[in-house]
Amino acid sequence: MKIKLRLPEFLRMGILPIVLIFLMAIAFVVAMVRYTIGIGAISDLSYSYPWGFWISFDLFTGVVISSGGFLMAGTVYILRIEEFKPLLRPSVLTAFLGYMMVAIALLVDLGQPLRIWYMIIHWNHTSVLLEIGICVMSYLTVLAIEFAPVVLESFPKLQKVAHLIHKYIMPFVILGVVLSTLHQSSLGSLLLIQPTKLHPLWWTPILPILFFVSAISVGLSMIILESSLSSRYFQRGLETHLLAKLAKALPIALGVYLVLKFGELAVAGDLGYLFTSGLMSILFWAEILIGIIFPMVWFSIKRNRTTPSGLLTGAVITLLGLIFNRFNVSWFGVTHPDPLFYMPSFMGNVKYFPTFPEVAVSIGIFSAGIMAFGLLAKYFPVFEDEHEHTVVGD
Amino acid sequence: MTLKHNAYLFDATRCIDCRACMISCSVENNIEMDKTRIWVAGVGLQGEYPELQRSTMVYHCMHCLHPDCMSACPVGAYTKAEDGPVTYNPDLCIGCRYCMNACPFGVPHFDYDKGLVEGAFIDKCTFCPQRIYNGQKPACVGTCPTDALEYGERDELIAKAHERIAAHPDRYINHVYGEFENGGTSYLILSHVPFSELGLPELPEEPVNEVSEKVMEMTIPFALSWGAVLTAVTVGVAAYDKKKKAAKEKEAEVEK
Repeated sequence: MKIKLRLPEFLRMGILPIVLIFLMAIAFVVAMVRYTIGIGAISDLSYSYPWGFWISFDLFTGVVISSGGFLMAGTVYILRIEEFKPLLRPSVLTAFLGYMMVAIALLVDLGQPLRIWYMIIHWNHTSVLLEIGICVMSYLTVLAIEFAPVVLESFPKLQKVAHLIHKYIMPFVILGVVLSTLHQSSLGSLLLIQPTKLHPLWWTPILPILFFVSAISVGLSMIILESSLSSRYFQRGLETHLLAKLAKALPIALGVYLVLKFGELAVAGDLGYLFTSGLMSILFWAEILIGIIFPMVWFSIKRNRTTPSGLLTGAVITLLGLIFNRFNVSWFGVTHPDPLFYMPSFMGNVKYFPTFPEVAVSIGIFSAGIMAFGLLAKYFPVFEDEHEHTVVGD
Repeated sequence: MTLKHNAYLFDATRCIDCRACMISCSVENNIEMDKTRIWVAGVGLQGEYPELQRSTMVYHCMHCLHPDCMSACPVGAYTKAEDGPVTYNPDLCIGCRYCMNACPFGVPHFDYDKGLVEGAFIDKCTFCPQRIYNGQKPACVGTCPTDALEYGERDELIAKAHERIAAHPDRYINHVYGEFENGGTSYLILSHVPFSELGLPELPEEPVNEVSEKVMEMTIPFALSWGAVLTAVTVGVAAYDKKKKAAKEKEAEVEK
């Protein structure tokens, strides 16, 4: 007798989902250990470095790579440039999942995760972190409303609700753009309270403006990246002509950023640090060359803007450079004086390097985000054929 | 109704590194064995035999006049009492550790070894309210055998410090650390060695939270005006779009 050793249809999956589930499982186990015996058991966080990899990667990077959502919502709904409609839904979904990942990561990082909602009722109006908390919570709601029609449309009985949301979407879009502007910039303000700890190459009173301007470039690159990857994975057409337009805007956005960054250094009289701060100077130049100069040159060449591989390469390098900036500002650029000869060890611990479990948590949460994006894109009309009639925005 | 503003005065020339302050603090406030709210630091032995010198400093919360922890805390777990103490309320704390980032002195300490059940909180000096409001000195001051730590009204202590410098200009550095640093602190320090050798950071006279608080003040006005601009743009673009569509339809009709 033959035994049929075939999995039922719904259990069959590719290698990618299996890897993702495996990574998520590791993160889950690490998180459980952390909840049982404390943050110190799994991380290298200390009194000198209360914020480490989780904040740099999950909060700073997670928020900035989600900026495509408000860019596309603003372009399509407010400016009514409707040709970008095919990019709207994936961008909004990326943003929604990005912020979900931020929220989940904070539940691991916070000492009292069950009290995260305290931010809603206890307000300290001088705290930048409060502003970010409130903005992220409200914006997550707005994004859920913006994306809800995509899911609701698929159920015939709920189409009325979807149409109702369409009808009154504009206030939410405007609110979403305002909230995004606020918290993308206030992530920069978060570091303003450390003038004595953050290196002067990065600490400037205009940090919020720099953060907002660079978030625009990150958003554009992120849209290019996710469109390219999903077109490969789902084997669908790539909107190259639309992406080419985004790529054309990138050198301009980056140029503004570059001028602001060096202009501020010149005005503050900090230009000397560009060459005299050793490792810090190198980190700064790396960020400038990879994240600003290279993409500006790359996307000025027409061939790179119009070919899928050119677009993808440029977007990835821009993202790497600009995310490197977030790491510099929130981690590498934060320095402490050398410990005194005679000092308790808990105060002398002024070096930080993330441990494996720390990184595993972040990777696991990121995997969950990719998985969720894949599942939603597979079962709901996230990517629409641009020639087909679409309901969004009608 | 000006309240007496309490403060500490620490004189590094008098500290003998006996650490009685650490013990009395831990006993008074029931601190776990492996933790402390006070710690001692210095650069160790200096000079050559027989002229050896060793100076130490006792650290605890500086009780700043414009506390950065209080400015940073999103849920307002910190308060600065009018009479001096900066206190922390664990019932509000969400464990974000932004106060630790904000404090330029590295004072707030976090329970990295506590899980969800025990609850991980911030720990820092409380100024011993249970003692000072009952007419006693804070535990560390009360136990100091050499009077290196003193307690009193801030203005009086500053005057006392300057008097002491004037009486022995050869012994002290002519500066009272904490009189103006970081907007002024309620922990004042006199020293015979550079303050950096005691591990004290060099700070401007403006509190480090100055810029971020200014930015935060602009947030609401900015949000409202940005929202208004966006609404105007939305309405404008929509009207322009409608006009264009109408014109196109007309054109099409004419062509027919």
